[in-house]
Amino acid sequence: MQPTSELDQPALKAKVFRCMGTVISLTVPAGREPRTAADDAGLGDAAAAVERVFVALDARFSLYRTGSEASRLARGELTLRWTSREFQDRYAEAARWRLLTEGAFTPERPDGVPDLSGLVKGFAIQQACIALQSLGLRDWCLNAGGDVLVSGSPIPGSRASWQAGIVDPLDRGSLIAAYPLGGSTGPGALATSGSAERGDHIWVLGGGASEFRQVSVAAADIVTADVLATAIVAGGPAMLNRAASAWAVEVLAVRHDGGLLATAGFRA
Amino acid sequence: MRIRAAVSATLASAGILLAGWQSGAHVAGTASAAGSTAGTTGIAGGSVSSGSAGSAGSAGSAGSAGSAGAAGSAAKAGGTFVGDVVQTRFGPVQVQITVSGGTISDVTALQLTDDGGRSVQISNYAAPLLRAEVLQAQSANVQTIGGATVTSDAYLTSLQAALDAAHL
Repeated sequence: MQPTSELDQPALKAKVFRCMGTVISLTVPAGREPRTAADDAGLGDAAAAVERVFVALDARFSLYRTGSEASRLARGELTLRWTSREFQDRYAEAARWRLLTEGAFTPERPDGVPDLSGLVKGFAIQQACIALQSLGLRDWCLNAGGDVLVSGSPIPGSRASWQAGIVDPLDRGSLIAAYPLGGSTGPGALATSGSAERGDHIWVLGGGASEFRQVSVAAADIVTADVLATAIVAGGPAMLNRAASAWAVEVLAVRHDGGLLATAGFRA
Repeated sequence: MRIRAAVSATLASAGILLAGWQSGAHVAGTASAAGSTAGTTGIAGGSVSSGSAGSAGSAGSAGSAGSAGAAGSAAKAGGTFVGDVVQTRFGPVQVQITVSGGTISDVTALQLTDDGGRSVQISNYAAPLLRAEVLQAQSANVQTIGGATVTSDAYLTSLQAALDAAHL
């Protein structure tokens, strides 16, 4: 007989790799014990497929890589017209989000340099999802530096959801809330943006300080969750309420003093 | 005599409707302004825009005031106003607001059911919550950790790294 703790906690296995300046973790149910070499090879193949997606997008869109298309555009060696189709597609998508969020999300830095980093990580997670589906994986959890997309359940064949904890921005060693993803709950994506983390990440509308220290958005797809989390940090409470009423999302926002604003889905 | 009375009554009620409509429109402006200042009233996307005729009671009081300018102050004093039907992602929504003392005291949804007759959520908004009121988590019973993007270096000391280490 198994100890109760193992019955309560699904057995999982994970692979991690670094990309886009952060760490990406792919977690899947461990399957039957003992683990076989074939099981582990399956996870290895899946993680390699995800890594290929991230590495390719990073090579094109990173402003930290001098040879990337994004860097060449920033230096003026290229104009948008001469960028790749993929770059133009992402730029168009980001511009569409700028319209939808009334400028709270923008594909440009204040100095006018196109910066798609607010969109590309979410897009990479979405593309990785397609790669995992094409490998036939049903149950998995992909975490890219704190943005999460899940499929299925941590307990194969069950309706149990993945439980995501959300870090307390005032005490990074503890959790401020939980949110169920996948399983029978539907929406599978949770993205979080902060105004205090990577200072270069979010430009606040009007140039002031953001009212929110951290904003988490749960949605059915990761790009929507990611873009809206960024937009709410930049656009404040007005953008929060616009997002909550116009999109099928749940939002948890943490003010600088630790105060919380949350939609019904985050309420215990 | 009777005919005359009927005609003047009709004219009077038309006047009342017109004044009511104007006051409704006026209040719509105040209402949406109040909504956005409050930030959490959650009136879906200006559903109180260009108010149609108010309910009998309010139109009556606005109408008695007689002119559009006065109707505005009458509206400030109070009344009940019905908004247009607005299409939202939750389905058609129509709300009625009650104004007293120049502020919205109540918002009532008049169309609350979907095609199947079930009640639907008409607005989603963020409310202030205490920490104890949100879904709670212990790091021992979550499978993944969400948070603002951590750098590769910060990852090493993160809760996600601890979870990953347990599953490697």
